[in-house]
Amino acid sequence: MPDRSRPIFHRAVIALTGGRVDTETVRMAVELARSSKAELVGVHVVQIDWTQPLDADIASASEEAQRVLDQAESLAERLGQRMESVLVQARAVGAALVDEAVEREADLLILGLPYRTRFGGDFALGRWILYALKNAPCAVWVVREPMPEEEEGES
Amino acid sequence: MFVVVVGGGKVGYYLTRELAESGHEVVLMEKDRARAEQITDEIGSIVVAKDGCEGIYLGEAGANRADIVVAVTGDDEDNLVICQMAKHHFSVPRTIARVNNPLNEPLFRDLGVDEIISPTRMILGSIEQDIPVHELLHLAPLSRDFELIEAQLAEGSPAIGRNPRDIELPDGCAIVAVVRDQEAHGIGADTVLRPGDRVIATGRDEYEPDIRRALIGEVGGS
Repeated sequence: MPDRSRPIFHRAVIALTGGRVDTETVRMAVELARSSKAELVGVHVVQIDWTQPLDADIASASEEAQRVLDQAESLAERLGQRMESVLVQARAVGAALVDEAVEREADLLILGLPYRTRFGGDFALGRWILYALKNAPCAVWVVREPMPEEEEGES
Repeated sequence: MFVVVVGGGKVGYYLTRELAESGHEVVLMEKDRARAEQITDEIGSIVVAKDGCEGIYLGEAGANRADIVVAVTGDDEDNLVICQMAKHHFSVPRTIARVNNPLNEPLFRDLGVDEIISPTRMILGSIEQDIPVHELLHLAPLSRDFELIEAQLAEGSPAIGRNPRDIELPDGCAIVAVVRDQEAHGIGADTVLRPGDRVIATGRDEYEPDIRRALIGEVGGS
């Protein structure tokens, strides 16, 4: 039997993509963190391609990256929970998130997954989520956004 | 230093791993997606699953800022193309290529590959060290077509009893030292060659038969 008196998690790293699904992940993380007095760390990874050095001044100069962090932070604040937010530059998103979770000794990694399909209609999980599921030492929760209504109707 | 390695075989894999562990920035290009994923699992997200023979992908891997591009695929033609593109399209300061067929070495040199590594040549050199008598040993390439060569003199060598300066060699070839009793000796006016001496000479590839004839003689009627 699970120990229900134990908090679900102490520290969670939340992947912030800048998409609609961020709202779902932050909202859910805040609800859970409030009851267990856990810490939340929002991480937005800016992927740097190999044509530029990893320490190129890109993420900090990016208004879009700042917007992603600001939105997530203010949403958490509105919901009554403080959330630290971090901007990371990396070659691979999945590896960067896992590294961040390890470095911060997080016991939960929360990933948002937009509903999307490949050509042919197969549901696509994406590469970095698979990487995190396979490599993160802590628990990983994947929050998939609701299926678009028109597709829901077709299925 | 930023190194682009092309070819995720054994050589490419271990090279990439060693470079990364030494603190260099390194990216490995491997066109076989399954192999690329396997390497990623083992050494991390420093693998680009694309064909390095394609200029656009070489560019994506950062060839524009690479200090060195190393082409170690199993295919000489691919390695040559990769180094050519790296050198002339991306102005990479240093290119290194693996050459499997020793006959392709001059072509690689002529087309400006900075360094060529020939596993075949290395193994050949290692084998030759075990059979030095009656054979010329290729010690090292000095420059294009120019080599450092060793010959061990046996009884019956036409060079025995002669001063190296008196031995006729083709233009551009020279005897530079004699190794006797584990010691290297320069060539002096009083140097006389003896059986067992190891003669160190320099010369062009094309003159190898002449050097062989002068130092080792006609062996077995050849």
